[in-house]
Amino acid sequence: MQPGDDRRARLWLLGAFLGGIMLHLSQLPPWITLGALLCAAWCLAGIVGRVPLPGKRLRGALVAGLTIGVLAAFHTLNGLAAGTALLALMGAMKLLETRTRRDGYIVVAVALCLLLAACLGNQDLPHAPLYLVQAWLCVTALAATAHPQAAAHTRRLASLSARSLLLALPLAMAMFLLFPRLTGGFWSVGASRVSTGLSDSMSPGSISELGESSDPVFRVWFQGPPPPPQERYWRGPVLHEFDGYTWRRTPGLQYPAEQLDYTGAVYHYRVRLEPDTGPWWLALDTIRSTDAAGATITPDRQLVARHPVHDPVTYDAVSYTFTRSTDRLNHLTQLLDTALPPRRNPRSVRLAQQLRAAAPDAHAFVTRVLDLFRHGGFSYTLTPPLLDLNSVDDFLFNTRQGFCGHFASAFVTLMRAGGLPARVVTGYQGGEWNPLGGYLLVRRSDAHAWAEIWLQGQGWVRVDPTAVVAPERLRRGALDVLPDAGSASERLMYEITWLNRLHQGWDAANAWWSTRLVGYDFHAQSRLLQALGLSARSWQQLGALLTAALGLWLLAVTLSFNRLPRARPHRLARAYALLCARLGSAGFARRPDEGPVTYARSLATAPQAFGAAARQLLERYARLRFGADTPTEAELEQFERDVRGLRLARRSSRR
Amino acid sequence: MNGARAEPLSQVVAALDTIIIGKPQQVRLCLACLLARGHLLIEDVPGVGKTTLAHGLARVLGLSWQRVQFTSDLLPADIIGVPIFDRATQQFQFRQGPLFTQLLLADEVNRASPRTQSALLEAMEERQVSVERATLKLPEPFFVIATQNPHEQLGTFELPESQLDRFLMRVSLGYPDTQAERRLLAGREPRELLDTLPAVLDAGALLHMQNEVRDVHRAGPLLDYLQQLVAHTRARTDLKLGLSPRAGLGLMRAAPAYAYLDGRHAVLPEDVQAVLPAVATHRLQRRDAVPESGRSIAAELLRAVPVPT
Repeated sequence: MQPGDDRRARLWLLGAFLGGIMLHLSQLPPWITLGALLCAAWCLAGIVGRVPLPGKRLRGALVAGLTIGVLAAFHTLNGLAAGTALLALMGAMKLLETRTRRDGYIVVAVALCLLLAACLGNQDLPHAPLYLVQAWLCVTALAATAHPQAAAHTRRLASLSARSLLLALPLAMAMFLLFPRLTGGFWSVGASRVSTGLSDSMSPGSISELGESSDPVFRVWFQGPPPPPQERYWRGPVLHEFDGYTWRRTPGLQYPAEQLDYTGAVYHYRVRLEPDTGPWWLALDTIRSTDAAGATITPDRQLVARHPVHDPVTYDAVSYTFTRSTDRLNHLTQLLDTALPPRRNPRSVRLAQQLRAAAPDAHAFVTRVLDLFRHGGFSYTLTPPLLDLNSVDDFLFNTRQGFCGHFASAFVTLMRAGGLPARVVTGYQGGEWNPLGGYLLVRRSDAHAWAEIWLQGQGWVRVDPTAVVAPERLRRGALDVLPDAGSASERLMYEITWLNRLHQGWDAANAWWSTRLVGYDFHAQSRLLQALGLSARSWQQLGALLTAALGLWLLAVTLSFNRLPRARPHRLARAYALLCARLGSAGFARRPDEGPVTYARSLATAPQAFGAAARQLLERYARLRFGADTPTEAELEQFERDVRGLRLARRSSRR
Repeated sequence: MNGARAEPLSQVVAALDTIIIGKPQQVRLCLACLLARGHLLIEDVPGVGKTTLAHGLARVLGLSWQRVQFTSDLLPADIIGVPIFDRATQQFQFRQGPLFTQLLLADEVNRASPRTQSALLEAMEERQVSVERATLKLPEPFFVIATQNPHEQLGTFELPESQLDRFLMRVSLGYPDTQAERRLLAGREPRELLDTLPAVLDAGALLHMQNEVRDVHRAGPLLDYLQQLVAHTRARTDLKLGLSPRAGLGLMRAAPAYAYLDGRHAVLPEDVQAVLPAVATHRLQRRDAVPESGRSIAAELLRAVPVPT
């Protein structure tokens, strides 16, 4: 091994380790990154400038100090964050004592573990190329360590590692497809993000916070065509209680269920919810059934998770766009959904009572209130003025500017004041159809609030007062209606068609990645295996399948290694092979280690009829093949002809 | 093919066969070794005709020859020569030792001290010796035929691998078979016959033949075969060392010589197979160091590597 080669191999090791650190740059505490980089710099100085590396005592002290530092920072050595920090530091320390090939392997293993930790923390598509590059770096460092003489030729090294990765690809695919999937949340060790979705309360302004973000919330794949934009109401928390300013739902309070008849268009669809969207799983209004195992349908038709889930969730559901109920509203709901806070919003209450008194029936009352919104000088904006504690009064009589939350809140208040049971429903409205992925993408900016009122003989009826004030909001979404919705870059994206298409393509790729690859769970695995005609019901059967795949892979790799590169056989060699085969069929097979002359001698026992001719042919072959003169075309042809023309007498016929 | 040229050689073989009875293959190998300009190590128990063979070769080839009996107190100067002060000219004159001959018979080479051995082996490799800042060329042709008794352990200095490598071939004679032994016992004593052997060749004729051996054709597939044989020894894990490039070159010199002896002007795989045990055996050793394992390794090697077609 040349010392130069060794240095190059160590540079590759350094690169692989630094790549591992880079993957955790945003997660690691700065002092740990700094410490690891300092060790790496020392190692680099040792390689390039031949600066002496620290001695045993200093290394021991450093290791102890750094371990205590990690303990102090995380209060534990367990868990992904503390483990990663410790791994980064210890890997950096290992760089300082990397002398032998074995040390090199350990550094590569540390770099690979860092990669694994990064994968545990984040599995989205933009990170995938980084992980690939890091994997390639690690394999290259491994190759450079194992073959220091190849380290001098970067191209050879690169092809060596690329070949190794390619060779590993089928194995990785088999492991991915067949490795028994854990159904628990093992992979979400690192997830500790704040849930940023709908909440169980709504005060003026809370929904506009959601409206500022265009992060995706969920994607929906429909069986058949998607519903028209005005039917795309995604039902979230239903809010019943009002204190004059904030709408809430009482957690744990069970409302009695009404008997519903489902009518109208039916939609079968699959929802994939992004992680950390809170306990409300979204469903098209009104949901009838779902296969979501971790969630239940409440009496007020919300889909609520039983336990908080930090993973992406996928579920199928069936919804109808229209329901009716001919029952009487039960007493408790009647009580709760007509309740108003005493002495709050007195002007609104008075107005509602006047309108109700003037209207012959409930329908006329609703129409009058909606007319009020339509012609009362209200305008839709995402940046309304702040409201005082009597928020409905302030909104209806002073500011008259607001968005869905204001309108829904005011409308429900007026309904309740007029004696009609009403409630606020929050959720999302609309969604962007992605023609490339064939799904509907709903973003945080699609958050919406609307109202439901109880009409005797019809049941709960959805009324969206926002639709009266800003009908375009329903058809085209907030970004289109309001010039100030969304950030400048989002607006730019929205207004330039091809950029929008690009964005949609990227989103479709992301969706594919997160549903098909990251979201490949036990159910998806069973579905795939069933489609392939294999039914693996248990992890034992999966293990057997995996072992079989592994065996096949090993066999293929062994065979491909054993196959020596062979040139196309020479014409003469083909004729000779034919001669040997023909003689072999007559009972005089050639041993592989026999040359032509030895072979000819072994034909001594052959019958005279062909023995002499065969010997003569073999001698001719020896002359043509090993002689000084290149055989002419004519000689070759003659030889081929004579080989074909050789008359064989079977050995058996001789006896 | 080359009947005219091979004629004297077949006479050489015939003459040697009369004194070394029943060992035609060994005789041919020895001749091939000399034709390939290689040095020869004859290794065997006493009394099977090592010295007789060496004498016979020298005589039949018509070369000047010297014999040195190696002992533990033999000094390098004893074979190379010493400077002697000449009173008449008042100068040192170099008196050549027995090394300055065309064929040197080094009997029982493993009895000499390593110092003497290495002096001899250096002369073999370089075909020249350095004395007192002067470099003296050895005569052309120059051969060493060394003999050693492998079973004699006491007071011997076994030749290390690096020095064994200098010998192109190592040949063992072995006991004669029953018929040959009978002929030996019934006939005249070989030592007496030595004097009656004719000098078929001379130094000039031998040099000419050596040059012709160089021109024997080696086809591509043959080189493939040779490379595969060498590669096979390097790939085997049970051997201490694979064959060195020098060993490969040795094979490539010995095989044409063997073909030439056969009167052919092209090397066949059979030639390689014939010389391989003699050329490779003393360079290969198993890890578990079974003595005398080389020969079976050569057989395994030949069986394992298919002849190219």
